[in-house]
Amino acid sequence: MKKRKKFDWGYLLLIPGIGYIGFFVIISAYVMISQSFGLYNAITGEVAFTLESWKNVLDKSFFDSLWFTLQISIVVSLVSIAITYPLALLLQKSKARKWLLPLIKIPYFIPGLVGSFLIVNLIDYHGLLNEVLILLKIIKEPMRLRNDANGIAVIIIHIWKNVPFMMIIMFSAIEGVRQDIKDCARNLGANSLKVLWHITLPLTVSSALVSVILTFIRTFNDYAISSTAGPMYPLSLSNLMKTTAYTYDDWTTAGCIGVLMTIVTVIFMVLYTILGKYLKQGGSKDA
Amino acid sequence: MSIRLTVDNVKLSYGDFMALKGVSFEIESGKFVTLLGPSGCGKTTLLRCIAGFLDPDEGNILFDGKRVNDVPPHKRNTAMCFQSYALFPHKNIYENIRFGLRMHKVPLSEHEARIHEAMEMVGLTGMDNRKPYELSGGQQQRVALARCVVVRPDLLLFDEPLSNLDAKLREKVRVEIRDLQRKLGITAIYVTHDQAEALAISDTIIAMNHGVIEQIDEPRRIYDKSANRFVADFIGTANLVKGSFRERDELNLVVDSENGTFIVQDDDYKELDDISVAWRPEDMVPVLDKENPPAGCNLVTGIVRNSVYMGERLDVFLSCGNNTFRASVARDYLIPEGTEFTFAVPFSKTRIVKG
Repeated sequence: MKKRKKFDWGYLLLIPGIGYIGFFVIISAYVMISQSFGLYNAITGEVAFTLESWKNVLDKSFFDSLWFTLQISIVVSLVSIAITYPLALLLQKSKARKWLLPLIKIPYFIPGLVGSFLIVNLIDYHGLLNEVLILLKIIKEPMRLRNDANGIAVIIIHIWKNVPFMMIIMFSAIEGVRQDIKDCARNLGANSLKVLWHITLPLTVSSALVSVILTFIRTFNDYAISSTAGPMYPLSLSNLMKTTAYTYDDWTTAGCIGVLMTIVTVIFMVLYTILGKYLKQGGSKDA
Repeated sequence: MSIRLTVDNVKLSYGDFMALKGVSFEIESGKFVTLLGPSGCGKTTLLRCIAGFLDPDEGNILFDGKRVNDVPPHKRNTAMCFQSYALFPHKNIYENIRFGLRMHKVPLSEHEARIHEAMEMVGLTGMDNRKPYELSGGQQQRVALARCVVVRPDLLLFDEPLSNLDAKLREKVRVEIRDLQRKLGITAIYVTHDQAEALAISDTIIAMNHGVIEQIDEPRRIYDKSANRFVADFIGTANLVKGSFRERDELNLVVDSENGTFIVQDDDYKELDDISVAWRPEDMVPVLDKENPPAGCNLVTGIVRNSVYMGERLDVFLSCGNNTFRASVARDYLIPEGTEFTFAVPFSKTRIVKG
């Protein structure tokens, strides 16, 4: 006799978690997408389907902003991991890690805007950095680091803010590599460098990728830091969206930018996830 | 290939705690030696010193007479089987075993043959592409073993390698380990707290307690001629009663105790101060006819407190004054609890231990 599969009422317990997230994701996606087609207007309430904004949005300033934001995000993610990984390795071996680790994490807990102000003050035209460099006769003229077209200040502040964030992930990942496995590798003839290359690195590469993805997304979607320290042109995408909505009062186009930003974020998430899986498999076969 | 190991007065402390208080011994090439002792006796610490993971505070470790204290672990050519197996989770079985060959820069052309030879030795043929998590505990331990022997080390080190396996498998794998070691002739040091395992597997047992060596002997002597109270009690079960030496005549030593006078035939004792009389539970013979007790035996009479049927044996706990003695007799006996009962212990089966 075949038994009918009974509905498991236990799934209902998931509603508070998944239901909550699902509800808000769906609602905000609906609002953003319908707004970009003129089907949602929270200010006047007038709605009419239009593709006008989608035609207008893909202009030079958008692509400049997109390219600028992508560049910043990629540079920040890569430089941050390049700083964080060796630092986490050193910290893991350091006896002073008990007080060094909380110290390094401080920027993570400082609001982005406050940190931004702090660093901007340091690197401004007549800030501490320029003054000291001039005093030491390393440079003759102060450097324009804040609001420069290459976004140097934005990059510095993002790195300052993201290294501690990555450290939280990477430190526990490196700490999580079992000592007996490392001992075993040493016992089988691997020196410290080879243990790092053959054991620690492959076992932490997925965590490194996760932290790079998250840093990329955090940087890509940032508003506070790029609005205080970023250049006047190109604007970061979040800034462009805000300016389009509030300065030009064009909420429909802002909706389009929002949709495009989300799409880029999702594309990178998928890309990194695939890459992460590939690396994990590759590592196991050959590393 | 195989080396002679010398451990010379090795001391090591963790802060205030002295884990090794001056340990010395020598192991001949090709021998299988077990470091046996309870948790915290320093046996694993000593093994880690030999592997090079720990630096002794004092004393020397010598491989074939050469001091290796300053040689880092990766240059000692030892191979260690860890309690946790320590397989590399990101590598398949083939690559796990190959790791040591790569590190030792063994020519690539030899890899495949050597890896498959090692896999065959431990019965893992055809598992090249499996991942460690896909294997059972016993299989994982075999991979660890293959990974050790494939590098043809000078010294095999085992850190309680079987403690995560179930009892039946433990017996099977320990025989395999012993066979493999004999076949390869590599000097082996095996750390365990399981005395049955130590007795079954070793050429020599080094019994340790509180960071010192209590006795170094072959298994039979460790069990039959325990040097002191600790060894007698830790290796198997021993009945012990404090005694004082009275006199001797030729073979026999007469020892007084709170449970009466014992006659001991033991030509192996070292001293006669601070001693106990010891005998094994399985050497206690039930006396069924009290009028005619067997000759040449000490008689121990008491109240049967517990009579525990163990399947293969019957364990009897006998209350004699302040002491409780344990007798392990054939399962056919019926010895009711609460009755008075007498056991005979042959003079030749009693001995004198220190402490």
